[in-house]
Amino acid sequence: MTTVSDQPTSAVARRRSTTEIEQDTPQWRKVLTSDPAARVTSLLAFVLFWVLVSALYDRVPGPVAVWTSLVDEFSRGEVFGNFASTLYRFGVGVALATVVGVAVGVLMGLSQLSRAFLESPVLVALSIPAIIWSFLTVMWFGFGDTSPIVTTFLTSVPFVVVNVAQGVRGVSRDLRDMSATYDVPMGRRVRDLVLPAVTGYIAAGVRFAIIIGWNGVLLAEWFGGGGGVGYRARFWYDANRYAGFAAWVVLFVGFIVLLDRLVLDRMIQRSFRWRDSR
Amino acid sequence: MAVLTVTNLSKTFNLGTARESRILDDISFEVSGQTFVSIVGPSGCGKSTLLNIISGVEEHTSGDITLTSDAGGPARMGYVFQDPRLLPWRSVMKNMMYVQDDQSRDTVARAERYLDMVGLKKNADFYPGQLSGGMQQRVGIARAFAVEPDLLLMDEPFSHLDAITARGLREQLQDIWAQSKKTVVFVTHDVVEAVELSDRIIVLQPGGLIYEDITIDLPRPRRQSDKAVATLQADVLARLETLKAMAAATEPVAEPVA
Repeated sequence: MTTVSDQPTSAVARRRSTTEIEQDTPQWRKVLTSDPAARVTSLLAFVLFWVLVSALYDRVPGPVAVWTSLVDEFSRGEVFGNFASTLYRFGVGVALATVVGVAVGVLMGLSQLSRAFLESPVLVALSIPAIIWSFLTVMWFGFGDTSPIVTTFLTSVPFVVVNVAQGVRGVSRDLRDMSATYDVPMGRRVRDLVLPAVTGYIAAGVRFAIIIGWNGVLLAEWFGGGGGVGYRARFWYDANRYAGFAAWVVLFVGFIVLLDRLVLDRMIQRSFRWRDSR
Repeated sequence: MAVLTVTNLSKTFNLGTARESRILDDISFEVSGQTFVSIVGPSGCGKSTLLNIISGVEEHTSGDITLTSDAGGPARMGYVFQDPRLLPWRSVMKNMMYVQDDQSRDTVARAERYLDMVGLKKNADFYPGQLSGGMQQRVGIARAFAVEPDLLLMDEPFSHLDAITARGLREQLQDIWAQSKKTVVFVTHDVVEAVELSDRIIVLQPGGLIYEDITIDLPRPRRQSDKAVATLQADVLARLETLKAMAAATEPVAEPVA
């Protein structure tokens, strides 16, 4: 087959510069293909999906019903007290899990003996679900703050340990040898070499701790009573009022997302300033 | 007085199932204070392994290593590696201070002085990633001198750099060494470099034996354009060529041990 073309046989490929591409792209396209636009679209798609599902199934409360329930809870004065209780328990549990998890993870990453000793207990703790810990802690500590704090801590600490230990084991062998050659004290090695090197792993561990920990705190409050978001969610669940139940879940999920975006994300960006300075 | 004494040092690597590779074989030598000693030899003759053993990064199979400090107390060591090995998340100055015993003002001033000697005082607040490869290696050299070591180990520190940068750094190293007179053990595969920098060259042969110990008595500072330097470089190079030919004719290093 013969192809007839008026184009020259030897085409010259020309790559456009970024300035040219920038100038040629229309403004509407830049906005639509930006990161914020993708985030807003994702959120809108989720709300649309929620509206559709709630229209099809009456056991799924829609966004408007959930919002109305939330406003009702505010007007009844239930939100601040319960939310503050949960936040306190969750905060203490996650903070403890972070401190203990980083310490144990660093130890496991640096010492072969510690790893051999702690690997199995951490694996066991990792495989115990939050619901089991919540049952156990309610049996051990009864109602009150201790049970949700301990549940949050126990469910989240193994994730921090595993992430940090993995990160420490991956710290550059060259830099460790350099530190050993110069006889750098162990405390300074941990502070200046190990911890900055595993910042990403610590951040990932804390993210896991937050996600897993909030399951723990809600379940402990669900079964343990003593107020809090989990307690109020159960109250509405028992009353067969799913919108009330969902309102509390949405409230806490919203809080977790904001915490991640506004606090954790910025902390991570700050700790990686050295990488962005190149 | 000898700062470093190596006596009957051997190193074998276990290759599994009753196979061993002998890297260093019963070698002994001494390094006197304020001398610059280079260790040269073909690839795989155990130069870097010897340096790692002296520094304590690697363990030796048998023999003895003694380090003596002028000040009494434990001997202090500095190490310049093939690559700079700087903490990327710490500034140049913080990298200098990371390896210092004490964090006093005097030590900071000393670190600044050595940074100044390598021409990087104004870059003290930079992160390593903001410096070129040559500049990073200069920080590595300044860091090693700034600990005021009794013994300074250097493992092919210019091998990753381009020829012009390497030459500049060699000249800078000669100047710093002339001022500080630290005891240096310098590993290199570059005979030209060894002759330019050293008071003495120890030539290792494959199998980890000392082939030759050459004393160099030429005035400093030395430049490659000096006739005496060029003649000696050619002479040592010829001896190394003979050694390489000899090595090629012998058996491989790894052999089964009964």
